[in-house]
Amino acid sequence: MSPALQQVLATFLPLFLRGMAVNFEIAAIALVVGLALGLLFAFARLARGLLGALSATVTGLMRAAPTFVVMFFLLNALPRNASLFGIPIDLSGVMAVAISLVPYSAAYVADNAVQALAQLRQGSALAALLFLPNLTRAFFVLVMSSGAGAAIGVNEGIAVILHQAEQLPDIEDKLALFAVGIALFGVPLQAAFYLIRVLQARLSRVMIRRHVKA
Amino acid sequence: MRLLWRAVVGLCLALATWATAGAQDVRSPDAALAQVLEEARASCGQPNPDRLVKVLCGGTLRIGVRDYYPLFSTRDGEKRDGYELDIADAIADRLGVKLEFVRVNAASRIPLLAEDRIDLVIATMGHNTQRDSQVRFVRPHYYQSETTVVGPRAAIVASWLDMPGRTVCATVGNGSNAELVSHDVRLMLFDEAGVLPGKLRDGTCQLAAQDDSFFAYYFTEPDFAAAFSQKFGFAQVPWGMAVARTGSDRLARALDLMSQIFHRDGVFLDIARKHHISTNFLREQQAVWKRIDCDTATGSTNQACILPALDADLEPTSFAARVSTFESWINAKTGTSILLPMLKTVPAWSLFLGGVANSLILIAGALLSTLVFALLLGGAQAAPWRLLHWPAHALTVVLQSSPIVLTLVIAAALAREFFDFSDVVALGAAIMALGLVNGSNAGQAISEAVATVRAEDARDGVRRGHRFRRAVGRSSSQLVSFLVNAAKGTPIASFIGAPELLSALTDITSFSTGRVTTYWLLLIFYIVVVMAVVWLCGRLQHWLARSYAT
Repeated sequence: MSPALQQVLATFLPLFLRGMAVNFEIAAIALVVGLALGLLFAFARLARGLLGALSATVTGLMRAAPTFVVMFFLLNALPRNASLFGIPIDLSGVMAVAISLVPYSAAYVADNAVQALAQLRQGSALAALLFLPNLTRAFFVLVMSSGAGAAIGVNEGIAVILHQAEQLPDIEDKLALFAVGIALFGVPLQAAFYLIRVLQARLSRVMIRRHVKA
Repeated sequence: MRLLWRAVVGLCLALATWATAGAQDVRSPDAALAQVLEEARASCGQPNPDRLVKVLCGGTLRIGVRDYYPLFSTRDGEKRDGYELDIADAIADRLGVKLEFVRVNAASRIPLLAEDRIDLVIATMGHNTQRDSQVRFVRPHYYQSETTVVGPRAAIVASWLDMPGRTVCATVGNGSNAELVSHDVRLMLFDEAGVLPGKLRDGTCQLAAQDDSFFAYYFTEPDFAAAFSQKFGFAQVPWGMAVARTGSDRLARALDLMSQIFHRDGVFLDIARKHHISTNFLREQQAVWKRIDCDTATGSTNQACILPALDADLEPTSFAARVSTFESWINAKTGTSILLPMLKTVPAWSLFLGGVANSLILIAGALLSTLVFALLLGGAQAAPWRLLHWPAHALTVVLQSSPIVLTLVIAAALAREFFDFSDVVALGAAIMALGLVNGSNAGQAISEAVATVRAEDARDGVRRGHRFRRAVGRSSSQLVSFLVNAAKGTPIASFIGAPELLSALTDITSFSTGRVTTYWLLLIFYIVVVMAVVWLCGRLQHWLARSYAT
């Protein structure tokens, strides 16, 4: 390991963890707002008629909106003195990234909620409960996607990795640092996905057992 | 007789000397200034006074100044300090009037002049050809700055050769942004220059570009100077005081003459020294305005003495006039202000066309590479040989664990190791990265489908053919969702310098107006393109399911 890499790694972990906390913060905001909106759209879609069609169209548009473009749109197209219900909107970098992820999370929640509500109507409460692990999966996808904030100067995990890499002159050292970054992002992600799989398997087993009993 | 002769000669000599002195005096800027002011003062009380008469007779000069531009114009409560404020004092002294300061910023300084809310602006305003049509600049200029690139001392940046592909923090509307963009620099834009030093300190910006006059103050701070250095400068621009274009001819003339005198007599130079700003330009100008051909009443119109405005006019497109007509028509019909800067100038139009073409290439490439990697990695993961299965699985886990932005950066870093940086290399790296990330996920779905096909064959005790094709058909919905994801992810390629539409429009808005319309168009473009991809992928899914799944 080169002295330059050693020097960077000596201070890297606390900086990265602080940055990763921002990733989790962004994902949490995006999921909470997306959950509220997505459930509204899901109920609207189940209502059928004009409301249902409108909800399906809006969900389709949100599904098609690229996060990165939405982020730049929010930062550049919103008026400087914008306000919501009289409250001035001062869009910080963190909020811009979080809100740019809302179309994805709301569409995802709406799609999964429609499926879960349909299962519930068919009397399969456990199948409907699969909504919860899917929500956890969405949260981790949002954590990974929040790295887009690096492009607008949000000091999240990816930005920390890139800033530290700038101090390394050799490509080998940079790649080693990137590998550390991937490991630090990957371990919680893979652990979460493992837990989701376990949870889904258990739910499936319970569902099969109940089905057999019935 | 001799005495009389001597007296006559002496009288003639005295008359000649007086006449010569008088003639020189009339040609000097000092005499011309005195004459202009005298004539204006004599006009007090007359109808339709011009702005100079209003100032002199009203006894107040309203000057637009900045509140926070260190060393040049700052305000702490009622106390103002800086190079530009001392110039304002010197002008007021000469005119014999009081000063009234009005706060201006980069956006308000020209409108306030046009609305007659200020008489004069001295607010770090660069003199370029675009502004010549909006205000009347005072000549000669009172300062000159250049755009300087500032970064950490350790950063190896010495010239434009080191700039392609780098991200530079700059401010929206800065005249030098177009030049940065033309050297393949990516811009991170901020509204105010004041945030740039902080962004350099916290590492958000690796490089920042702004007027050297702006950074001059920060380089007086030991810790900033120890951490950062000026890498190189470009785009020299003279700074001008300015007055309104209408009703200010005589005020402008008086200020022209005053500016000449201030240069010649070292007034500007002394004030600059007092505020510890760079004096190179002012020393050069003092030498110019001491020259006999410049130190005249008409010196400020002598092209050999004055500096030209920075040429900031961009070549218009052949259809720019029609675009402007369309904008006006929309405004008149709907009351909505739509600006289409990407259609009005040749550089913007060229960037726009390139951006659209590159975006479509990127999307097509990302779709193709996703499909190829999905089939390759799916096949490898489903293979019975561990030597093939495990590396493919490990690669998939790594790619799933890496945020897409990081994967793109790694792909770009590796590409730079093997190729010189270019738009094609950036696009290629982005296509590979997007294909790998989405293809690995889709490949995993295919391999899982292969496992189910195998299990069913084993259960039924038969070996049906085309297992892999059937698995592809069975995992078609997953495959399609990752293809759509790849198309949606293409704008992120701008992060590594791929010149797609987001990148192109960001560049265009950095040196032109119409940000809101531009980003609306961008959003609509990508939503339409992604929906088209969704429709195409839906057809693909239908075909795969019908042809392969059993």
